[in-house]
Amino acid sequence: MSSFLTYLINGISLGSVYAIIALGYTMVYGIAKMLNFAHGDVIMVGGYTVFVVCSTMGMPPLVGILAAVIVCTVLGVTIERIAYKPLREASSLSVLITAIGVSYFLQNAALIIFGADTKSFQSVIHVPSLSLMGGQVTVSGETLVTILSCAVILLALTTFINRTKTGQAMLAVSEDKGAATLMGINVNRTIAVTFAIGSALAAIAGVLLCSSYPVLSSTTGAMPGIKAFTAAVFGGIGSIPGALIGGIAMGVIENLSKAYISSQLSDAIVFSVLIIVLLVRPTGLLGKQIQEKV
Amino acid sequence: MEEKIIKAADVRQEKGLMLNVENLSISFGGLKAVENFHMQIKKHELYGLIGPNGAGKTTVFNLLTGVYKPDTGSILLDGENITGKHTIDINHAGIARTFQNIRLFGNLSVLDNVKAGLHAHYVYGTVSGIFRTPKFYKMERAMNEKAMEILKVFDLDEAASYKASQLPYGRQRKLEIARALATEPKLLLLDEPAAGMNPQETQELMDTIRFVRDSFDMTILLIEHDMKLVSGICEELTVLNFGQVLCSGATKEVLNNPEVIKAYLGD
Amino acid sequence: MKIKNKTFRQNAITYAMVLLFYLICQGLIMSGNMSSLMKGLMVPICYYVILAVSLNLVVGISGELSLGHAGFMCIGAYSSAIFAVCVDGKIPEMAELLLALVIGAAVTAVFGFLIGIPVLRLRGDYLAIVTLAFGEIIKNVVNAVYVGVDENGLHFSMKDSLSLGLSENGIEIINGAQGISGLPRTATFTTGIILVFITLFIVLNLVNSRQGRAIMAIRDNRIAAESIGLSVSKYKMMAFVISAALAGVAGVLYSHNLSTLQATSKNFGYNQSIMILVFVVLGGIGNIRGSVIAAFILTILPEKLRFLSDYRMLIYAIVLITMMLFNSAPKAIAWRKSIKERFFSGKKAEAGKEAQ
Repeated sequence: MSSFLTYLINGISLGSVYAIIALGYTMVYGIAKMLNFAHGDVIMVGGYTVFVVCSTMGMPPLVGILAAVIVCTVLGVTIERIAYKPLREASSLSVLITAIGVSYFLQNAALIIFGADTKSFQSVIHVPSLSLMGGQVTVSGETLVTILSCAVILLALTTFINRTKTGQAMLAVSEDKGAATLMGINVNRTIAVTFAIGSALAAIAGVLLCSSYPVLSSTTGAMPGIKAFTAAVFGGIGSIPGALIGGIAMGVIENLSKAYISSQLSDAIVFSVLIIVLLVRPTGLLGKQIQEKV
Repeated sequence: MEEKIIKAADVRQEKGLMLNVENLSISFGGLKAVENFHMQIKKHELYGLIGPNGAGKTTVFNLLTGVYKPDTGSILLDGENITGKHTIDINHAGIARTFQNIRLFGNLSVLDNVKAGLHAHYVYGTVSGIFRTPKFYKMERAMNEKAMEILKVFDLDEAASYKASQLPYGRQRKLEIARALATEPKLLLLDEPAAGMNPQETQELMDTIRFVRDSFDMTILLIEHDMKLVSGICEELTVLNFGQVLCSGATKEVLNNPEVIKAYLGD
Repeated sequence: MKIKNKTFRQNAITYAMVLLFYLICQGLIMSGNMSSLMKGLMVPICYYVILAVSLNLVVGISGELSLGHAGFMCIGAYSSAIFAVCVDGKIPEMAELLLALVIGAAVTAVFGFLIGIPVLRLRGDYLAIVTLAFGEIIKNVVNAVYVGVDENGLHFSMKDSLSLGLSENGIEIINGAQGISGLPRTATFTTGIILVFITLFIVLNLVNSRQGRAIMAIRDNRIAAESIGLSVSKYKMMAFVISAALAGVAGVLYSHNLSTLQATSKNFGYNQSIMILVFVVLGGIGNIRGSVIAAFILTILPEKLRFLSDYRMLIYAIVLITMMLFNSAPKAIAWRKSIKERFFSGKKAEAGKEAQ
C-alpha cells in the first residue's frame, strides 16, 4: 500500500512536469494551429542554463531559475519570429518540418557547446522531504515543489487568460484569426506572447525535470517533449484543463506501469492508453468536436 | 394542402414516383432545422426547391444524401427505402448531387474528376491496375471516351487536361454537374447551380439542364434563388420557409401564391 | 489521350534516372573509384528511397500525415530477420532473401491493416500523433520480447531468454534489447535497386489507376468523394497498407544489410519516421520523383558534410529551415515569382521593340 502511494505521488509529480510542458504545446496549438516540435528542446535549453548559472558560475538557485526563464522566453520568441512567422499562411506540414529543423538545430547547438557527455545536474530545490503515514511514505522536496508549481502555474494561467486583455485576445485569436484582426487585435503580438509564455513554462519544466531526474544531455527534452505532446492530445489539444488532466494521467500511468508491469514496456503502455482514449473520443478528453459544414 | 398529398399518393400507385419523402425532420440542439418535410417527385420531372435564405433547403439535400441522418421520416427513391443510409450507399442507390460551395477534386484534372465519377461503372482490380493488364487498358479507354462524351455536353472537353481548380467559377459548377452525372444517377440534386453566373451563362445553363434531363432520361431536383431560372425550367415547386413546407405544386400556381410572395418579400 | 502520354513520359524519366544512378555507381565501384564509405551507403540509399516513396503514398497521395513509418520498417526488419535465422544455411541465399522479402512485406501489410483500422478513423493531427504512438509501441515491444526456436517450434517470452524454455539444441532468435545477431548479410546494391524499381512500379502505376484516382479524390475532398460513391475507408486503407508493406520491404533490405539487428530510437524511433517525412516534404508532397531525389541527396549529404565534424548536423538543420522558408513562405514565393516575371517581361518587352 505504502509503496503504491509512493509510486502514485511520484507519478503525479512526473505528470505535473508533463502538464507544464503540455500547457505550452496546447496554447501554441490553440493559437497558431501548429505542432511546435521544438518545444521539448526549449526544456533542454532551460536545464543547461540553470546548470551553467548555478553549477558553473555558482550563483544561487533562484538566479538560475530566473535566468532560465529569461533565456527560454527570448529563445521562444526569437524562434517564432525567425522560423514560424514567415510561414503563417503556409501549409501546416511545412511549419511542422520547420519546427523539426529548429529542434535539430537546438539539439546540435547544445551538443557543440556542451559536448556529448551527459552532465549531472545539481538539484536547485532545497526543500526538506515530507514524511507521511508514520514514515512509511517519503515525499521528496523535488516532488512536493513540482506538484505545487504545477498547481500555481495552472491557477495563474487561467486567471491571466480570463482576466487580462492579452488573455482575452489569445482566446479571440484561437477562435478566429481573421475576426480577431478585424476587431483590432494585434495577432502577431498575441502569438508572440503565447510563445513567450509557453517557453517560460518550458524553462520551469526543465528546472523541475532536471531536479528530479538529474542527468542533462542534448536530447534531455526530446522524450518528455513527445510525451507532453501526447498528454496535450490526450486531454484535448487546445484545452488548458485538458493539458493538466492529460499530463497527470500520463505521468501516473507511466510510473505505475514501470513499477508493476514492466519498465521496458511503460512507454508502450502510455501510448496504448492514448490510442484507446482517442478511439473513444477522437479529439481527446476535453477537445472540441468539430463538424465540417456541407 | 391535404388534397394535394392524397393526389400524390394516387400517382405513386399508378406511375411510381422517383422520390417520395414523408414527414422528414431533423433538429440540431434545440433548433428544428427541418420539420415534417414532404415532397413527391415524378419520374423525368424537373423539380425546384425554393425558399428564403436559411429556410433549410441545403439541409434537405443533406438529409436526402445521407450527410445527416433524419430524426423522423422516410425517403423512398424509386420505391427503395434509403432513409438513414450512408452517403456512399445512397449514391449507389441512384442519387448524385452538386454542392452550394463547390467541392471539386481540385488537384485532379477535369477529365479525372469525371472519371472518378465513373468509378463504380468501369471496374478493374488493384492488381490489374498495378500490373497494367489488358483489362486495365480496355477499361481506361472506355472511361476516357465516356468521360469526354459527358464533358462535351458541358463544353468542357477542350479543358479536359486542366487542373479542376484552374477553371473559372462558372465552369467549375458545370464540372460538378458533369461529375455527378458520371455516376449515372436516377435523381440529380443541384444546389444553386446558377449561383455566381451572369445572365448569359444562366441562360446556357438552363438549356444544358433541360438537355441533360431529356438525353440522359434524368429526374432533377434543384435549389435555386434565380427566379428566372426557376420559372423557366422547373415544372413543379416546393417552397420551404422556416424549415417547413409552405406550399407545393405547379410552378406558375406556386409563384402566384400570396403566401409565397409574403415569405419572400416580407410583410 | 495527350494526358496519358504525359504521365508515361514523366514515369519513364523517373525510371531512367534511377537506372542512370545505378549504372554510374556500378561504374565507380567497378573501376575502384568509390570510397568504402560511399560503398557502404549504396544499400541505405535504396531503402531510404523505398521508405520515402512509400511514405509519400500516404502523406502526398492519400493526404494523411503519418509519423510512424519507421515502425513498419521495424516490423519488416524483424519478421524477415527471424525467418533468416530460422532457415540460415538450410536454403540457398537468393531463395532466402526472396522469401524474406515476401514474408517481410506480408507481415508488415497485416500489421498495417490492423493499425490502420483505428488510425484511419481519426483525422489530421490526431491521426499523426496516433501513428507516432504506434511507431513507438512497436519499437518498445520489439525491445522487450524474447523469441527462440527449437524442434518444438517458436517460443515467446516477455521476461528473459531463460523463460523461453528452449531445449538443448534450441537457438535464441530475439534476445530482448540485444536484438537479433548472426544475420546473413545478403543484401546488395543490385537487389536494392531492383526493389526500388519494384516500389516505383507499384506506386506510380497505382497512382495512375482507377484506385489511385479514388485515393486522390478522397484526399482533395472527402465529402464530394462520398457523394459520388467512393468508399473513403477502403481507399484510405489501401494506400496505408500498400505503404506499410513497402516500408516492410525497406526493413527487409535493412536487416539483410547488417549482421546484428537492434531496435533503437535512432533506426526505428520517431526520429527516423520524421527523417523520412523530411525527405517527402523536401522532395515535394505527392511528387514521387522528388522523394527519390530528396532521399538520395539527404542520405549522401550528412556523409559529404563529414569534414565539418560536429557542425554537420547543425548545418543540416540550418539548411533544412532555410529550404522550408524559401520553399513555402508566402513572401519567398512571391519574391521568386516577381524575379521570374521581371526576367521574362523584360525579354518580352525587348522582343516587342524589335518587332516594331
